[in-house]
Amino acid sequence: MTNGRQDRRYLWLGPGAAWLILLMLFAVSLGSAYLPLGAGNLAVNLGIAAVMLAVLAAVLMDLRNSVALVRIVAAAGLFWIIIMFALTFSDFLTRHY
Amino acid sequence: MSDTAGALQHPWPDLRMQRAGVGLGMWMFLASEVLFFGGLMVSYAVYRSFNEDAFRIAGAHAQIVYGSINTVILLTSSFTMTVALRAATANVRQATLLFLGITAALGIAFLVCKGLEYREDLKEHLFPGPQFPLSPPATAMFWGFYWAMTGIHAVHLTAGIAVVLVVWTLFKRRVIPVQGSTMEGVAIYWHFVDSVWIVLFPLLYLAGRS
Repeated sequence: MTNGRQDRRYLWLGPGAAWLILLMLFAVSLGSAYLPLGAGNLAVNLGIAAVMLAVLAAVLMDLRNSVALVRIVAAAGLFWIIIMFALTFSDFLTRHY
Repeated sequence: MSDTAGALQHPWPDLRMQRAGVGLGMWMFLASEVLFFGGLMVSYAVYRSFNEDAFRIAGAHAQIVYGSINTVILLTSSFTMTVALRAATANVRQATLLFLGITAALGIAFLVCKGLEYREDLKEHLFPGPQFPLSPPATAMFWGFYWAMTGIHAVHLTAGIAVVLVVWTLFKRRVIPVQGSTMEGVAIYWHFVDSVWIVLFPLLYLAGRS
């Protein structure tokens, strides 16, 4: 009986906590968008989005318990998107015309 | 033959390794998807960096209420999908079916909400073309990105819903066992669709709110 309850709690307890954190972060992001922070608004919103992605990937996608190879493949997507942004903006942000 | 024995496929020695293999394959696919959406996002970033004011003016016209409701729906669907995955891994069949069904329902609710939002957008002629009401002209660029990004995201979500419904049916009819590795791939894909929305929301709905 007790084991059954513990099993059922395992099903939703961790994901439930992650879900509440994600909803809270979403609310903070939405609220902050109405504060007059200038260029800071976008930085705050994207910063919160990055934290939300980290929570989603680590807990709900279970990357924290994945084997090293899976983590490397997941990181490869992130790595190449950073390269794409860096190379693109190294051109546009250094133009003087 | 036990349910677990039916779940194990050649050439895997055990279910744990089989699930890791499916997860690895799905993550490889998603790494290519990241670059697909990344191309759109880097284009958005370049155009926004040169047209900051126009993007703020245009972004203020996005339907924030629909966008926020849809964000809560998708975040909740990721929670229910994870519960379904854990239930499947623990071979709790009824909970797997229940939470997989709720996940599909939430996905459909997102699309319905998106449809209502698109209707409001079109009423205001917020589609780049002759009747586009905003100025300066670069505001049309923002709305071009809005339609492309949300449209492609909706296509991905539709594919996700279709897969979830097919898997639900196969589980229900006991064609495949819930404890196999199928749920691993389905869940990772679903969370990816949610991840894309987490990035799209601040880019398309929060610009120009302050």
